[in-house]
Amino acid sequence: MDVSAGANVKASEAVTFWYGCNVLRHGDIIHACLDILRAIGFEPSPVGGPDYCCGTVKDTNQVTAGGMATRTVGKLNSKGNRVVAWCPSCHSHMHDFMEKGNERQFDMTYLVELLHSHRSALRPLLKNPMRMRVMLHQHVGFNDLVPVNRMVPELLAMIPGVEVVEGGYTAPGYMCASFAALPQALDDMHNHTVRAARACGAEALVTTFHQCFREMVGLDAAGAIPVYNYIQLFAQSMGLPYEDEYKAWKKSPEAAKEMIGADRVAKVGIEFYERAVLPELKKRPNLR
Amino acid sequence: MSGKPLIGQRLKAFQESEVERILGACTQCGKCHEVCPMAQYSKTPSQDSRSTVGGVLAVLRGEKGSPEALGWIGVCTRSGVCVPACPENVDPKMMMRLARMTALGGRGLPKQIETKEDRDYFDRVRAFAKLQLTDDELKEWM
Repeated sequence: MDVSAGANVKASEAVTFWYGCNVLRHGDIIHACLDILRAIGFEPSPVGGPDYCCGTVKDTNQVTAGGMATRTVGKLNSKGNRVVAWCPSCHSHMHDFMEKGNERQFDMTYLVELLHSHRSALRPLLKNPMRMRVMLHQHVGFNDLVPVNRMVPELLAMIPGVEVVEGGYTAPGYMCASFAALPQALDDMHNHTVRAARACGAEALVTTFHQCFREMVGLDAAGAIPVYNYIQLFAQSMGLPYEDEYKAWKKSPEAAKEMIGADRVAKVGIEFYERAVLPELKKRPNLR
Repeated sequence: MSGKPLIGQRLKAFQESEVERILGACTQCGKCHEVCPMAQYSKTPSQDSRSTVGGVLAVLRGEKGSPEALGWIGVCTRSGVCVPACPENVDPKMMMRLARMTALGGRGLPKQIETKEDRDYFDRVRAFAKLQLTDDELKEWM
């Protein structure tokens, strides 16, 4: 489809879309982001994965983290364009550490900020109504760097039929993946979130970050509440054709191998799939 | 000698200067610990915020941290609530991040807290990429 139809699109600006690492679980989100960026007047060049790691996961080895930061800043410098970041970890690590140890030669914008500043171009693209009362899953962190807890609801409210309701719960931390080693905190967050959503009459939970979507989609798989990432709702309203395969696999882990298909499983290797992928798909929240 | 700075040297110098700044600025008032929404999840919870912060500063100095300080460092998830609570503009979020790196042995000092290393982390990222992207996208985007 021509997603630019109806949008007030000016001449394209080439940008580097730095999507990060773990969003690679969600190809639909990456592809939708690219379509949305194109539709509002950008020419995105996507980069990510381990070769573009920011190094934030290497707190245990700052020599390695420093090397990763130098390599990635150098690669992004060589692109010569503004960088639009998807991942909150990458974005904050760039500001906190990477640019302090390396010469950053590019401007940088977080995707939510970019979309928010291009609301007038985005609004006409949101054609398909989605009758849905949603609550934003939000954290206290990162919001000081980019006010996502204000901006994302304002973006969601542009989708015809979407009503954003305030649940009154803001989780600690800056995104859910940090809670992986803190099971009690994770359990509390899941349960507080479900209670808040039910109390405010939300029909669905919407996450800003993919790390939160990956964690919260377990609530969907457990039948507690439907869960979406905000980009997925934009994509649906714009009529973009991407399917959320991760959620489908998560909802039916025993059938996931069949859904994925033998060819794709073979690319990963059946042993690795069963040892390192399937357990994640089977994981469910501990609801009280 | 090429004169080219070693990779990571500037980052190391930045971290060292931040440690010095934090050690010089923090008055151990304990406000950062008092407002922390994660402190309740520490394995060694503390009612004495001033002492707990003192233990964090000890870690930054390369000394052994108290169990309460190490417990708090272990549960920091970068909420950032501590930043506006600090009357001295120390940036306690940075303080805790550097203390975590130090306590994990990441800055070359003895390890004081354990973390579960996910040996499959990057391979899992690559695996999902193979499940979600086309061969051309894998080649051009990563």
